[in-house]
Amino acid sequence: MDSNKKYWKGLEELNRTPEFVEKNKNEFAEPIPIEEVLSGSGLSAKTPRRDFLKALGFGVGAVTLAACQKVPVHKSIPYLIKPEEVTPGVANYYSSTYEGQAILVKTREGRPIKVEGNPNDIFAKGGLSAQAQASVLDLYDVNRLKDPKINGTDAGWDAVDAFVIKELAAVAASGKGIRLVTSTIHSPSTLAVIADFTAKYPTTKHINYDAVSYTGIIQANQNSFGKAVLPHYNFDKADIIVSFGADFLGTWISGEEFTRQYVSNRNNESLEKKKMSRHIQFESGMSLTGTNADNRFPIKPSEEGSAIISLYNAIAGTTLPGTKKALSKTTDTAITLVAKELLAAKGKALVVAGSNDVATQVLVNAINSLLGSYGTTIDLDNPSKQYAGNDAAFVEFVSELNRGDVGAVFFLNANPAYDYFKAADVTAGLKKVRLSVSFSDHAEETANLVTVIAPNHHYLESWGDANAVEGYYTVVQPTINPVYNTRQAEHSLLVWSDNAVKDYYAYVRNNWDKNLFPKVGLSGQKGWESLLQTGMIKTTPVAAGTYSFTRDLNAVAQTILDHSNSLSGGKFELQVYQSQAIGDGKRANNPWLQELPDPVSKVTWDNFAALSIKDIKDLKLNEGDVIKVTANGYSVEVPVLAQPGQATGTISIAVGYGRVNAGPVGDNVGKNAFPFYSFRNGTFQTTAIAEFKTTGVISPLAQTQTHHSYEGRSVIREASFTEYKKNPAAGSGSEGEHKDYDKTTSLWDSHDRPVYDWVMAIDLNACTGCGACVVACNAENNIPVVGKDEVRRRREMHWIRIDRYYSYNDNGNSEEAVTKELEIDKLDNFDRVSVVHQPMLCQHCDHAPCETVCPVLATVHSSEGLNQMAYNRCVGTRYCANNCPYKVRRFNWFNYWNDSRFDNYLNNEHTQLVLNPDVVTRFRGVMEKCSMCVQRIQAGKLKAKIEKRPLKDGEVKMACQQTCSANAIVFGNRNDPNSEVSKALASERTYYVLEELNVKPGIGYQVKVRNLSELEA
Amino acid sequence: MASHSESIIREPLITGKNITYGQITDDVLRPVENMPGKAWWIGFSVASLGALLWVVSISYTFWFGIGAWGLNKTVGWAWDITGFVWWVGIGHAGTLISAVLLLFRQNWRNSINRSAEAMTIFAVICAATYIGAHMGRPWMAVYSLPLPNQYGSLWVNFNSPLIWDVFAISTYFSVSLVFWYTGLLPDIATIRDRATGLRRRIYSVLSFGWTGSVKTWQRFETVSLILAGVSTPLVLSVHTIVSMDFATSLEPGWHTTIFPPYFVAGAIFSGFAMVQTLLLVTRKVLGLENYITMFHIESMNKIILVTGSVVGVAYITEFFIAYYSGGEYEQYTFLNRFIGPYWWAACMMYGCNVLMTQMMWSKKVRTNIPISWVLSIIVNIGMWFERFVIIVTSLHRDYIPSSWAMFYPTWVDVGVFIGSIGLFFTMFLLFIRVLPSVAMAEVKLILKSASEQAKKKLIDDGHLDPAHVDFYKDNLIKFDSVEHSDYEKV
Repeated sequence: MDSNKKYWKGLEELNRTPEFVEKNKNEFAEPIPIEEVLSGSGLSAKTPRRDFLKALGFGVGAVTLAACQKVPVHKSIPYLIKPEEVTPGVANYYSSTYEGQAILVKTREGRPIKVEGNPNDIFAKGGLSAQAQASVLDLYDVNRLKDPKINGTDAGWDAVDAFVIKELAAVAASGKGIRLVTSTIHSPSTLAVIADFTAKYPTTKHINYDAVSYTGIIQANQNSFGKAVLPHYNFDKADIIVSFGADFLGTWISGEEFTRQYVSNRNNESLEKKKMSRHIQFESGMSLTGTNADNRFPIKPSEEGSAIISLYNAIAGTTLPGTKKALSKTTDTAITLVAKELLAAKGKALVVAGSNDVATQVLVNAINSLLGSYGTTIDLDNPSKQYAGNDAAFVEFVSELNRGDVGAVFFLNANPAYDYFKAADVTAGLKKVRLSVSFSDHAEETANLVTVIAPNHHYLESWGDANAVEGYYTVVQPTINPVYNTRQAEHSLLVWSDNAVKDYYAYVRNNWDKNLFPKVGLSGQKGWESLLQTGMIKTTPVAAGTYSFTRDLNAVAQTILDHSNSLSGGKFELQVYQSQAIGDGKRANNPWLQELPDPVSKVTWDNFAALSIKDIKDLKLNEGDVIKVTANGYSVEVPVLAQPGQATGTISIAVGYGRVNAGPVGDNVGKNAFPFYSFRNGTFQTTAIAEFKTTGVISPLAQTQTHHSYEGRSVIREASFTEYKKNPAAGSGSEGEHKDYDKTTSLWDSHDRPVYDWVMAIDLNACTGCGACVVACNAENNIPVVGKDEVRRRREMHWIRIDRYYSYNDNGNSEEAVTKELEIDKLDNFDRVSVVHQPMLCQHCDHAPCETVCPVLATVHSSEGLNQMAYNRCVGTRYCANNCPYKVRRFNWFNYWNDSRFDNYLNNEHTQLVLNPDVVTRFRGVMEKCSMCVQRIQAGKLKAKIEKRPLKDGEVKMACQQTCSANAIVFGNRNDPNSEVSKALASERTYYVLEELNVKPGIGYQVKVRNLSELEA
Repeated sequence: MASHSESIIREPLITGKNITYGQITDDVLRPVENMPGKAWWIGFSVASLGALLWVVSISYTFWFGIGAWGLNKTVGWAWDITGFVWWVGIGHAGTLISAVLLLFRQNWRNSINRSAEAMTIFAVICAATYIGAHMGRPWMAVYSLPLPNQYGSLWVNFNSPLIWDVFAISTYFSVSLVFWYTGLLPDIATIRDRATGLRRRIYSVLSFGWTGSVKTWQRFETVSLILAGVSTPLVLSVHTIVSMDFATSLEPGWHTTIFPPYFVAGAIFSGFAMVQTLLLVTRKVLGLENYITMFHIESMNKIILVTGSVVGVAYITEFFIAYYSGGEYEQYTFLNRFIGPYWWAACMMYGCNVLMTQMMWSKKVRTNIPISWVLSIIVNIGMWFERFVIIVTSLHRDYIPSSWAMFYPTWVDVGVFIGSIGLFFTMFLLFIRVLPSVAMAEVKLILKSASEQAKKKLIDDGHLDPAHVDFYKDNLIKFDSVEHSDYEKV
């Protein structure tokens, strides 16, 4: 049926107005001006075909281009509610503590990216070691444990707690011992936690176990003076320092502190007062400290005892019975002279020995007592607490383990399965323990043997405190939320001992309120806030008392001689030592440290057997030949290094290498030398009789420097202290006035520097060559780690390096040093070696040779005197690097951050969080070099501008300068005549490296001065 | 043109009896108009395998980065720039032969200029690949051109010798290409006229419609002279600029004012050696003994001897100046060439370039084909080592002894270099199959004045001083392409 219904779409349709009818004839109600648009033809057309094609072409092209661009996906989450204290782009600094040393942690947008020394720190006053600088990278180590483990499988913390508490209860019921093995703990709160734990489980015993221990010194002080402490040394108060194998500027007790003290008597300030300390070193292997000595005498480990006895005899004027001259003529003469000098400087003298032998240290105490060192250069009343390890206690613990007397054991920051010399005993003993727990944050050697791993926080995630020296208390505060499912060890102990306060933060605060704040008259929230700001409290130090040594030394001397005789039987004597970068090996998984060249050998990524040049020649060995060294029934195969200054007949091998479960970076780097240790007279001994044989294998060392003499070039300038006193400009080549090489015609116009002229002064007499600046620069400037193979190919990327040169003095005459390779080859005696360290970085030349040759203007001069790199412009011709006389430019040979062959550093998103966001990372094919921390300069200028004031001198510090405990580097504005740097450069000692090229370098060096013996000359 | 005869005292430039224009065309075009023989195929297979190696090595470098080479923080250039300078130098002989010898009316160049110019083009191509390949970011190579841009006043650095290089090499390549192609036009037209089908059409296009009219010939001569005039300065300028890459730097061993003439002489030296290497083989394989005669071979050997001696004097001057300047670093650099770890490279350089070429004072050596060929190879080896010594031995031990380092090449370094030789020969072998390897038109120019048969006719006609005739005959003894029996009865 037809429907009559009529639907209409609008009133117009219903009414059928004429307009509507007209419009409705067409498909489109309103006419589309097609005809009009297309009207005309050719160029006279309203819309010519060309325009259409143009529009079409542009449209398609633009869309195609836009579609080609892969839009980067930023996985950042903006702050929903911005934290009050976080401003994106502005760094926050938090005070904290690294191994007892007060530090400032730089955080950006909530992630710590760098640590720096706290300027008020009593140790280094802002300086920091390479290891401390590198510690921030450990936070982002993807190989840290992400969860606690029971029997090797991931478990939740509740399960771990239930398990441990149940087992502890069982152990407590059985009456068996509970042992807490830690490396030295000086944190008051941690010690309180341990005390509480012990109260809950009375069979608990806390054992301080240091892989490299100072038990010998502590025990000797107990025997000598009845005080079992590690003294606090004052190298700044010593005019004469005699060291028997103590690497006090490097790895011995408190290297950064001693560096600061030591340099204060040798830097420019001191020299201008015509004052310079004298330092004599007797040692087997060349240590960092030995390289800085004014006179250095190589002695075998077996001679060390005799040398100290001879020194005692010469000072005391007695003859210890049973002594016989076992020394070479040179050493004997040296000892006699040194004794005279020491006596002349009574009260301002210091004798130290690196030995861990109690008898040796007792004798050293006797010498220091005769020299009046106690109360002046040695302080027994404000002792250091940095090392409290007790070797005998640990050895006893291992036998307890094997006897089955231990029911539960906890390892905190201790890894005896790697670093105890009889690791097999630990492994075997642990099988007899009901409950073994490790707090390690890595599945390292010991952690792999235990039932429970309760991974500890990284220190940058932790609360805590430290008391490294009597009267100096510092706070540890977290700078980031825990990255993984870890828990602070103290927290775990509190939970397991069912403490009333289980939150460690609350516990620390309670402890401070109760025990520490009262010492300095602080209290409550206010006290706590001020502590978090300053990072430390210092109590008034006790006056250092004098101590005199009264014990009979005959038996001591006999013990020393027996020990020496037991070493001198074999053909070679082995000495194991700690390397500056790796130390005892706990940080072996840190690529910055592995790639930090050893300050002496310049070897990276390996340990080696250092032999004297004479031995190498006699045995027809070559560097890199792998030899098998056997001692104490243990052997390792390591490559040979020809070490100038190494005592003939000795081998030195560094500990800290040869980790097998450190992580992918540190595993199987070098060989483990800890098993060469022995236990003798209650302490670990680091020397042994050794033999070796060649293996025929060659393993080239990855050295960053392979030529070791400076060829008599004026690159290095030295003077003796005597010469300096006569003429402060001695050796600087300027004879009182600087040559103006610019007087002759210069091709280039000089640049305008209206406000700032950034320059640097480096004091060769202050620099000890430790290499902390190298790691600080790595952290600040996102410098890639390239790995062993690339270092072998001489492609390390470090923007600052320390050049180390040896020169020889065949006949003992300082004037006739032998510095040329060809002459050195002809020498017979390689014992009299002097060393100089020279930090080398971009000199920011005013007439920079790199700038003129760059075809694309990628490296140009700033109006502030800096030579700058525009990475985006660089096409990578490497012409600039070739034309750089200082060879400080570094080329990105590969994409180090995105190439699976360089898997030891940044190839994961997590580790990339350590990058400094103010410094761009560099792509492959681009040149880079020291920028003079231009981001720091910029930040400083901005800050001054916001505060509407001029930039203050010293406000901006370079990363290398900031971390230098020796203050060897001064940076500042040369336009300001009163700036530190202007004053430093005005020193008569100042010279410029390769100034004769008239490249006008912006870094002035100050002549190395050696305080050679006047008695000797 | 045949209206006058060349003096009988001059040695013939074309040998053989009954050579006609047609004969020349037939002889020269034999490889172009026939299928290649076994020897060509073997050579081409080897060369293209080399070119393949080049492709692999260059691709590897592009993919992974310049780290694939053996360079390091101290030695930033090694085989790359050595190869670059070596190839650019080799190219120089072609330009010298085509331009300078044309201006000086040295007619003997007519037989060899085509191949020599082709060699120049291919050598410059090989050199140019190094310019691109040695960059860290070759995809940004455009930054080295002075193009307008949106970065304000950002321009290239006109102070940088590398920018001068960009201009020098690109000019050199384009001028050489134009000159070479212009010279080819009449010969291509000859091929066109003899070809059929598709080949005819291709050569027809390539010949730019050459008609062979008098006017065409006249214009051709004029253009050739103009281009020769334009090219002549390039012979001197290109390698001068290349030498300034070194001479304007601060590097001891580089920073020396003698470099421009020293490099130019070295370039001609190595270039003639390469021409010799190629032509001695080509002549035999393609049966061109009548056109590339002993006279050519000896002449080129003489040039090698002269330029080799110039280079030798430059070497001595360098040592003297290093001693005389009193410059500590420069003195060490030159001492280091002999007593340093690269002493063997210096021995190769001085031995091959100076000592070995001095043998050419002997006519027996100059006219002995196998010895000449071996010597030409030795010169090229020596010249490669010269650049290696200048670049690597200078860089590896310069001012600061802590940075002294050794350079060890990787397989990629070797691959790129060997590969570039493969690439060069691939191009050269293709060239002799598709284009005449001797400039037919130019050789025909001298057939009636300077050929053996023309001179024979003169002798047969009499009217010549018998002493001159005897002198002429004595000169012919060294020619391996002359039938000496013809002259016995005269």
